[in-house]
Amino acid sequence: MKIVKQLFGSRNSADTAKQRLRFVLIHDRAEIPPGLLELIKDDIIAAISARVPVDRDGVVVQFEQQNSESRVLVDVPLLALNGERKGTKRRP
Amino acid sequence: MESVVITITSGKGGVGKTTCAANIGSALAMLGKKVVLIDGDIGLRNLDIVMGLENRIVYDAVDFIEGRCRLKQALIRDKRAAELYLLPTAQTRDKSAINAGQMTRLCDELRSDFDYIIIDSPAGIEQGFHTCLAPANRCLVVTNPEVSSVRDADRVIGLIEAAEKGPAQLIINRIVAARVKRQEMLSTDDITEVLSTEIIGIVPEDENILMSSNRGQPIVMNGKSPAALAFQDIARRITGENIPLQPLRSSGSILQRLFGHA
Repeated sequence: MKIVKQLFGSRNSADTAKQRLRFVLIHDRAEIPPGLLELIKDDIIAAISARVPVDRDGVVVQFEQQNSESRVLVDVPLLALNGERKGTKRRP
Repeated sequence: MESVVITITSGKGGVGKTTCAANIGSALAMLGKKVVLIDGDIGLRNLDIVMGLENRIVYDAVDFIEGRCRLKQALIRDKRAAELYLLPTAQTRDKSAINAGQMTRLCDELRSDFDYIIIDSPAGIEQGFHTCLAPANRCLVVTNPEVSSVRDADRVIGLIEAAEKGPAQLIINRIVAARVKRQEMLSTDDITEVLSTEIIGIVPEDENILMSSNRGQPIVMNGKSPAALAFQDIARRITGENIPLQPLRSSGSILQRLFGHA
């Protein structure tokens, strides 16, 4: 196994395969190409940051399917004007 | 150089067409060639996931053909090589979404930008196969050392010749030297004799292949396992280098010592 780890890094490849399959099957079933989420993410960042500062690196756009319902989940952390995450400041 | 369209096909499914396409394309790109891989298997695309580029797809070849995007928008650049691109196909359509004339025009449009255009054909000998055959300058037929895939390879080689796209060249995939030695598996000589077709490569069975597709990293990008070396040789033969076919080593000895597998 040592050489395999050297070749491919330490994470076991079956786990990687399962995770990649989960991701790709969600998109196959929903008939939504995976790269589309990246475009949606860019659009959302542009729309919200036009009004309030957002933490771009923290934005998560996910596709979710439960039963027969599909939805896009969007998590956009906001920044305070001083550049810190909003709400992280301690209050007396 | 003049652009070459290479169609990789087999007749039988599951013999390793997509693995061959991904690795030969990657190996050619690593030799400094400009390469685009086209997934020809509309409705059952897999070249994207084998290449590890599945999460980059926005548009595909059918979107381009039906006018929903420009060709450049559908091409996915693989940053692991200097000039390697994937043109994915549609997952939610069927083989009739692209016909032979459209595939030929698509390839003609790519010719000015690429040295090699590699098409991963669907299994079978129906419309999807003929669509992928139409633009080919060169055809590689993948077979395993096993009776049903050799029989299907013969059928496909005949169809390639009938379409005046021959002579096809053969890739024997997943051969196990020790089993050939024990005479329980067809040898490359047996297969050449039966098919009377030139061999362009012999790829040994290699358990690293499964892990490379698990991760979406073509094995030629990750060093020197037996299959990686075989695919690199095939790529060099495609470019015109004269690389003699390697006699198969019995995997019971050297390979085990090299890779530590039982």
